[in-house]
Amino acid sequence: MHAIQQQYWSLRDYLSPVLKESKFKEHGRINPEEFVAAGDFLAYKFPVWTWEKGDASKARDYLPSDKQYLVTRGVPCLRRATSLAYTDEDEDAERLLSFGDSSATGNEADEWVETHAGRKATLDSAANPGVIDDIPDLDGEGYGGLSNAMGNVSISSTTGATAGETPDLDDIPDMEEEDLEEGDDEATAAPKTGVPSAGGVLDATQIEVAKGNLLQVRTYDVMITYDKYYQTPRIWLIGYDENRTPLTPPQIFQDVSADHALKTVTIEAFPHSASLQAASVHPCKHASVMKKVIERMNAGVVEEQLAQRKTSSGSGTPKESKKKWGFGRKGSKDEKGPVGDEEEVEGMRVDFYLVVFLKFIASIVPTIEVDSTTAF
Amino acid sequence: MPVVQFAPFSSLVQPSFWHELTRMKIDVLRLSDETLPIQGSYTVGRSIRDRETGKDIVLGCNLSLGGDAYEKSIQLSPMSVAANGMFKNYNTIEDFKAADKSALFNELSTKMWDAIVNHKDTSVLSKFLLITFADLKKYQYYYWFAFPAFVSKPAWEISENGWKSADEELSANQLTTIHQSLYDDTVPFFLVKTSGDSVQVGMVEKFDEFFGDVSSELRIVGFLDPSASAENPGWPLRNLLAFLRVHFPAQSSSFRVLCWRDSEIPSAGKAWKSRFGVISSGESDTATKPSAVGWERHPTTNKLSARMADLAPMMDPARLADQAV
Repeated sequence: MHAIQQQYWSLRDYLSPVLKESKFKEHGRINPEEFVAAGDFLAYKFPVWTWEKGDASKARDYLPSDKQYLVTRGVPCLRRATSLAYTDEDEDAERLLSFGDSSATGNEADEWVETHAGRKATLDSAANPGVIDDIPDLDGEGYGGLSNAMGNVSISSTTGATAGETPDLDDIPDMEEEDLEEGDDEATAAPKTGVPSAGGVLDATQIEVAKGNLLQVRTYDVMITYDKYYQTPRIWLIGYDENRTPLTPPQIFQDVSADHALKTVTIEAFPHSASLQAASVHPCKHASVMKKVIERMNAGVVEEQLAQRKTSSGSGTPKESKKKWGFGRKGSKDEKGPVGDEEEVEGMRVDFYLVVFLKFIASIVPTIEVDSTTAF
Repeated sequence: MPVVQFAPFSSLVQPSFWHELTRMKIDVLRLSDETLPIQGSYTVGRSIRDRETGKDIVLGCNLSLGGDAYEKSIQLSPMSVAANGMFKNYNTIEDFKAADKSALFNELSTKMWDAIVNHKDTSVLSKFLLITFADLKKYQYYYWFAFPAFVSKPAWEISENGWKSADEELSANQLTTIHQSLYDDTVPFFLVKTSGDSVQVGMVEKFDEFFGDVSSELRIVGFLDPSASAENPGWPLRNLLAFLRVHFPAQSSSFRVLCWRDSEIPSAGKAWKSRFGVISSGESDTATKPSAVGWERHPTTNKLSARMADLAPMMDPARLADQAV
């Protein structure tokens, strides 16, 4: 069934026309040229992102052959998103609090709203053990549908063979060959055990979080492709655990906020490889979300640019016409005054699209540090 | 003085490598188990600041293999360099277990030593060995890496000052120049000579010409450091030191070492991540090939053993179909 669906998607992708005109401010979609422009900007500004050409047989002809998709490798993910999860269950219910006897008199102005009233205070102390475990309560009633959809695979690690640990898989006891090297080599740094090294720097395997759990630092390879059907970028994730073993789908879903796991994030065939499967954020809502974000940011950017222009009255030439949809990637250098092209009131340029897009993706995978663009 | 402890390489195999191996095994290699050249890459050591605790967390000293590992030239991201390897895939798990691993390792380390001594070749300094067995039906891949490193006798020792941040030794200007040079042309090993507030970057092969009559306190030996651990320089430095000792024995009693770890120029208010230290060692015999170490230990047991990647959850069509919604 899934295979048929994927066939259908690839056919639909093949048949859908390439978006030609620029639409990113009207409905949040971009065309391939804008994707390349935004990608170039991202890779220039943040060199952790690089263009890849991918499998030649899978190359899309509407993108330059050496700029098929963007990739950044080894993105750290310190914690599981499930440990951040907030639910709609009772424990998060709001409650009106009143102080003094004001409620008796009907004076509601003194009432306060307390959110997450049912939630126990989770102080990270020895006196308060076990509370952390209670939070990612995804097997609760509200998630019945989700659990059913996953069959035997559950998000929280209730059974041994699922999510959190896959302890036996990696053990090959009869293949141990300690005699390969004679004795211990004094100049080989041993794996850190317990004692934090100097300088306040910690090894990834030795961080303790509350109640003695070791913090498991995962890393992700993150890819951004262009989705021709939805005319938006699309994000793909391949994860590794702290021992650099590839993550299984249920493990990856631990790093996706509960609202999105298995709904908008699914495992699918990566379009630039013949056989690779990766977790992907489905792009059906990207355009509308991006439109909203862009509108909000654009208003701010235009305002800022107008203010800047007023202060630097030197470039007095009316550039109001530029205000329309200025996507020009610094393309209007010849027209501008001596003050630099930041002064142009053109609103947000499409170059920023992927920077904004990453901020949006960061809300779906809150613990994966995809957004290295904090400078913006 | 404490012995310098080097952070060993940790292998990171991208799933695309296993996909490519599957394809190669079926279409190209078939029953052949001859040794093939492959290429991996490593980049500067990374650390990340934990927003909750405010502490820096060190990520591994990784050497990664991607889907393009079998190709002649691989795509490298900025501030990363390629490492050549020898790859051997066995047809059965029995062959894999019974393989004469010592012989393979010795063969490679002998080759490396020969290239160092006779060809003055620095490209072999981060060579590695990978043996695999692919259980294609179960989507399970057994593998074992070795990163041969020559053991220095007597061992290298770090001076009393220890490893310190590079900006305590070099100015921001000097570091920026080095960064620019590496960014334009990323090399695994390099030399730096300082004069006043400026620096010059040169090639390790031209040690004598480059340093000429530069006094020893203005000479720095640098390398792209995959380790991010404060006290442990990365594995490639070991073989670089072995190389320098063979070719420049007169100058090799002590080195000022720059462990390059900055992929970008730090933004205002942030410190440089690169480390600096002065290491020294007594006389050693360079005529005979030193012993080498470097089999990768299993990450969970810390024993010398092969490990396995189970790709079934991401490759097996039946299991993928199960979780499709």
